[in-house]
Amino acid sequence: MSVILKLTRAGPLTSIQDLGRFGMLRHGISASGPMDRTAYLSAGQLAGGGQGGIEFTMAGLEITVASGRCRVGFCGGNFVVRVNDQALAWPGAAELGAGDRLAITPGAWGNYGHLRFDGDILAQPMMGSIATSSRAGLGGLDGRSLHVGDVIELIGSGAEPVVPVVRERTDGPIRIIWGIHADLFSQELRQKFLDASFTISSRLDRMGVRLEDDDKVFTDATNLSLVSDAIVPGDIQILGDGTPIVLMRDHQPTGGYPRIGTVITVDLDRFAQLRPGSAVAFRPVTVEHAHALLRGSKT
Amino acid sequence: MPVPETFPTPTLLPLGDSAFLVRFGTTLTDAANRAAIALAAMLDNAPIPGVVEIMPNLVSVLLRYDPLLASPAAILGELRVRLFGLADAGREPRRWTVPVVFDGPDLAETAEALGMSTEAFIAAHNAPLRVLATGFAPGFVYCGLHDGLVLPRRTTVRPSVPAGSVLFAAGQTAITATDMPTGWHVIGRTAFSNFDAAGHPPTLLSAGDLIAFEVAS
Repeated sequence: MSVILKLTRAGPLTSIQDLGRFGMLRHGISASGPMDRTAYLSAGQLAGGGQGGIEFTMAGLEITVASGRCRVGFCGGNFVVRVNDQALAWPGAAELGAGDRLAITPGAWGNYGHLRFDGDILAQPMMGSIATSSRAGLGGLDGRSLHVGDVIELIGSGAEPVVPVVRERTDGPIRIIWGIHADLFSQELRQKFLDASFTISSRLDRMGVRLEDDDKVFTDATNLSLVSDAIVPGDIQILGDGTPIVLMRDHQPTGGYPRIGTVITVDLDRFAQLRPGSAVAFRPVTVEHAHALLRGSKT
Repeated sequence: MPVPETFPTPTLLPLGDSAFLVRFGTTLTDAANRAAIALAAMLDNAPIPGVVEIMPNLVSVLLRYDPLLASPAAILGELRVRLFGLADAGREPRRWTVPVVFDGPDLAETAEALGMSTEAFIAAHNAPLRVLATGFAPGFVYCGLHDGLVLPRRTTVRPSVPAGSVLFAAGQTAITATDMPTGWHVIGRTAFSNFDAAGHPPTLLSAGDLIAFEVAS
């Protein structure tokens, strides 16, 4: 039985995402996928894991069930969630029926939240994925962000919900692996990079997060002309004017600016949730250490 | 069998915690580009277990893996073995003819900067080329390397050129398949479309394909 949802409030960067459109880099398309992958997976467990989800931002979200019944799971950042004006715990889940209204407003921290449902989001897969790419303009609903008035249909009934282990929010430096161009930066500059504090700027989206270089680490960096190479999410590029930018899920597939480091997988979700104005510092780890963290054998 | 002398010695680098980059040079040379294309073709034909994506770049190849499912040490070991036997695939490259209307806003200026008449520039430009790399944007291709036709990029960036624009800079010709900003010289346009989001695969041209531009009739 299908469920019809209607968006009654949405910020400009609300989008349909699934785990991502992998394998298309050579065709010029980066994978996209959830900005907070861990939260996306947890929301799916809470809902009983249908395909796809709705990613929303600090602007919040409101949906109304036009018809049918569904279970919704929500996770990512910290938000205030209400069903028909009754507050619920975040992260969490709820059963929704026709006429119910789910309203989400920003909480204490975080940029991104994820809504998952027991049913699958009905959307045309492009290259095997329904994830919206803001860069390539494909996936989701006609390759665009979701707007007020959009209708989303769910089909199928999903699986048994599971209560996920939601990790405590952690602080501390964002861990990186030295980048493919780290050797182009002097030892002294690399040390300055590690000692410095940067600020998350207000120029952030699904493609990248620009940092304010408060300690002027890269102000005098030479503008190097490099042959372009493949980009991966988390790459820290230093633009020609010295601005560091951390490339995110809708990253450009290739880039020609020097990359001093790459944020490790376990810290990329946490980085994505840092709000503008937050201070951020970086600490290098080895690839082996990053893998141990990913397997949960180190913290 | 040693690596053929024509292929530069590769550098193996971690790119984050889920990929390796095999780099055959830090500047764009014909030999480094051929090596990158040959390695990607070899890995496409005989994938290394655990590698989930291969992407040839201008002078490097990206290998993505899932660190929860694959051993990076095993991938590196296998990769070193493959690099030792790296040779041109010997596969006959695909050939494409791309008709171009040479009426771009920078055409006259480009020919003049190279000290040529527009007609002479077009004739020299249409010498056979190779697709050097793909992937910068959906369906975007770099073709080259032009022999002697080398001009830096423009000092200003055009905020948007349409899909099908034929661009020229740095000894290369590029074709756009989506609207995009560019600092390259716009020399013409083509009806050839290298991107169809619903296609399988979504692009037609691959790195290593031979390409001939011709004046559209």
